[in-house]
Amino acid sequence: MKTIRLFPLELRRLLSSRFTWLVSGLTALSPLLGFTLYKPADSTTMLSLFLANPSLAGGAAGGILFGLLTVYELDKAGRSRVEVLTDAAVSPLTTALTRLLALTAAALLTLAAVMVIWLPISQSRIGSVFDGTDYVFAYLLFMGLALPLAILAAAAAYQFTRRMDLSLVLFAAFAFLSLTVWADDWQLCWLNPSVWAMSDDFSNFRLFRSVAYMRLTWLAALAGIWTLSYLCIRRFGKGLLGSLMLGVRRIYRPAIALALLACSVTAWAFQPFYDQSNPDLSAMTLDTLETADGVTCSGRAADVRPDLALGTVQGTATYQFQNTSGQERTVSFGIDPGYSITSAQANGKDVSAVLTGYQESNMALLEITIPADRDIELVLEYGGLPKDWNIMSTMQGEPELSPKYLCLESQNMAPYLLNVAAPEDTGVFPAVIDITLPEHMTVIPFGPSDAEILEQHEDGTLTWRYETSGPGSILYAGDYVREDIQAGGVTVQFYYGRKHQTIMEQAKAAEAVREVIEYCTEHYGSPSFAATGSLKLIQSRVAGGGYATTGASLLDEADFTANNLESAEKGAIPGEVMIHELVHQWWGLGNMFDDSDTASPWSSEGLTVYTTYRIVKDLYGEDYAKEHYVDQWQTAVDDYYQNFYVRNPEYLSSLPEEEQLRISNSLATMRRYSEMPLMILKAEQLAGGEDAMDQILYNLFNRELDWSYPYLTYQEFLDACGLTEEDLSLA
Amino acid sequence: MEMNIQNVTMTYQNGKQALKNLNLDLRSPSLVGLLGPNGAGKSTLMKLLSAALLPTSGSILVNGEPLRNAEQKLKGTLGYLPQDFGLFDELTVFQFLDYMAALKGLTDAKSAVRAVIRQVNLEEKAKARIRTLSGGQRQRVGIAQALLGNPSFLILDEPTVGLDPEERIHFRNLFSQTAQNRLVLLSTHIIEDVQSVCDQIVVINHGSILFAGTPEQMIQAAQGHVGVFWEEEAFRDDSLHITARINTSQGIRCRAVAEALPAYAQPEEPSLEDAYLYLISQEVPK
Repeated sequence: MKTIRLFPLELRRLLSSRFTWLVSGLTALSPLLGFTLYKPADSTTMLSLFLANPSLAGGAAGGILFGLLTVYELDKAGRSRVEVLTDAAVSPLTTALTRLLALTAAALLTLAAVMVIWLPISQSRIGSVFDGTDYVFAYLLFMGLALPLAILAAAAAYQFTRRMDLSLVLFAAFAFLSLTVWADDWQLCWLNPSVWAMSDDFSNFRLFRSVAYMRLTWLAALAGIWTLSYLCIRRFGKGLLGSLMLGVRRIYRPAIALALLACSVTAWAFQPFYDQSNPDLSAMTLDTLETADGVTCSGRAADVRPDLALGTVQGTATYQFQNTSGQERTVSFGIDPGYSITSAQANGKDVSAVLTGYQESNMALLEITIPADRDIELVLEYGGLPKDWNIMSTMQGEPELSPKYLCLESQNMAPYLLNVAAPEDTGVFPAVIDITLPEHMTVIPFGPSDAEILEQHEDGTLTWRYETSGPGSILYAGDYVREDIQAGGVTVQFYYGRKHQTIMEQAKAAEAVREVIEYCTEHYGSPSFAATGSLKLIQSRVAGGGYATTGASLLDEADFTANNLESAEKGAIPGEVMIHELVHQWWGLGNMFDDSDTASPWSSEGLTVYTTYRIVKDLYGEDYAKEHYVDQWQTAVDDYYQNFYVRNPEYLSSLPEEEQLRISNSLATMRRYSEMPLMILKAEQLAGGEDAMDQILYNLFNRELDWSYPYLTYQEFLDACGLTEEDLSLA
Repeated sequence: MEMNIQNVTMTYQNGKQALKNLNLDLRSPSLVGLLGPNGAGKSTLMKLLSAALLPTSGSILVNGEPLRNAEQKLKGTLGYLPQDFGLFDELTVFQFLDYMAALKGLTDAKSAVRAVIRQVNLEEKAKARIRTLSGGQRQRVGIAQALLGNPSFLILDEPTVGLDPEERIHFRNLFSQTAQNRLVLLSTHIIEDVQSVCDQIVVINHGSILFAGTPEQMIQAAQGHVGVFWEEEAFRDDSLHITARINTSQGIRCRAVAEALPAYAQPEEPSLEDAYLYLISQEVPK
């Protein structure tokens, strides 16, 4: 009660201090740093540039400033000897709690002022994709919660040490750790959450959720530590231990501290957002499981019911098996590591379903024992909050499931069959997928098939159905606009977010798509999708790039931002990732490359990156292409050959396994995306120039395939160029 | 209000023993003057009575209840002015006193603040920032916060330091009025103040009580131990503790206390200051 009565007076006193106003003023200005010095979100979406970065900068700078203010204010009472008066009137414990509340209130008032001040600036910079909900959540979570965390940390440091200098050093070290060593761990970077991008056109709820989770985990931890320090507040002239002994006499106080710390540790250990996949990216355990002999799968169906408010998925998957072995068999599935199986029945009877605990490539291994019956219908009820792959933890935001956007990939959609063959080795697993979503969402299967509305419900939802034949499938849904474009003899279905419609139309994005497709068709011939007559181009939520499959290419929304589309430097053509992904429709689909050797630099990326460079050179000029492609490749290759572990591979094996993997993965990526394009460019020069290379690539693209081994090999490429490996060596 | 100090010993962490087996009973209404040389243990005693320290041994009872249990009750009825204190410079006088009134849990804080501002003659400075006040004005703010809410137990450690003589007299009279129905413990080096207003005196030195009683009893104890003489008569007489030297036309007239007055000294009626010095002179430092 006394704390509540004292709080407004303490707050008024705090707000009477010039230093408080200085700290609040600097905090209000700190989002400016997000435009200049501190830009952790490296995506080019408008919300990343003009909302995420300013609010993150505001959180980091504001947190540090309020930490300093906290230490200054707590020390001030002792330094100015006011506490001899206040302690005579009220317990120093009450004073400490009141000061903490007042500092927190001052921080919240500052945050409110920041949000009001920056609202018109953000609106004007972000433009038509500004969203009030995103604005509020970004400032509350990215910036706002950093302030009380910093106050708790600084106050705890002071209450433990009672020394301003030591407290400042401890607080600075704590902040420094977050900004450096812990910056790559989404759960540890308490001051600067891992936010690499915000979506302009779709929602950011998954990102907000994981940041809020991290903040709340730290809030519990720091509140617990603060409560421990509260027990150490010096009283009756005693030192730290003497005061602690007095403080713990009221048992509820240490109990609260321990409960808060226990909550924090539990939240940290059982975080629901990222899986525990094997960190070895070359691990193939799930791909090399022993096949269930005598078992085939002739059909699948899934009824998927996402709860978009909660971001969870519930579903029922049905599998038709033929078991000719006459014995029970173990069928293996990969399911989303965030899902659980609530029911497993084969031919109406419960069967054993065991989650083994092993996770790889964002799949948890599920083993189900099916009976010896010849024809079996296996029905699985499953559901949960989809988890993202742990290697993506610094790229928070996936998988997004919200009323504005949804992406479900294979094991997120339904349990993914791992060790069962298709009938007669056709490789075809016919599947019928039903999914129920709000009526404003358009369902887009990633592939050649189309979804159709099966049923309209009274609650304003629609059930969509589509068919697929692969073992897994990817589905996008959202509030999309579809535009049909005729190019290269096919119809391109161009899907983009409705929020972006004005920008797309102003930038004539459809014309740009047509130009790229016509360039590739003219130089290399008709792509594989030309046979089906259509190609889906889908604008996805920001993902750091795109990808492609037969009949569909995914384009990152970052390539369609107003900044990107209106950039005079790049002309009127949308971003280069879009070109890259479109080019994959020529280089990199189906059986074009043998991907079994993950360390080999020869892959679809080499020719795709090279072709992208050629298109960019045509569109933006030689200088631009050299600076943004050739020079970048050369720098990366030079770095590669200078790398200590490349020159001294014997030392790589002495590193921790996780570090070895990180380095080898990074090097492999560099070789595919930089070394190989540079080698192809060298081949171009040796083979007689661009026209000669265009002819070589045309011939390779349209070559007669050997169906026993249909892949385009590096040797075939060298032979077509009349060169040897040594000719193209960059070492 | 009753405070009972029973066999209290206070030893600091650095090993310094500030109080030794101290016993003292204080009961309202009373204005108790606490006298003693620097380092005698006065401030330690006042810190113990204000619950700023816990005794190493012994106990302090607040109205019969151990202080450790009655800490909140004591702080609710206590007015404390330490010798060395600070104020929140960024606040006005009124705001600071309002803040202190809230700390003390006063229900009608505004009225109480206005009352003490009037008592310490700071009406004109009520809206002034504390950082703009003089030393004497700051001291008055300190006194005002101690008086807030008419506390039943008032501890004042050197309250008149920094005040001009007129203010000093004003405040000692104020303390006297306050003590009419309360317990006031006044520590000071100014014997005149004690003599003017205190009904009880406690003399403390080297952590022990040398005297506790009325001023009259203290003066009575010094009867026959105070005398005056010419300085040349007492050449190199170490048994005398000279308390005054007055230059006159016949020479230097000295006033001194001693356990046994020499024959050349003419006995004088002791003052409270003489009595105090006599008491202190009896103490052999250990």
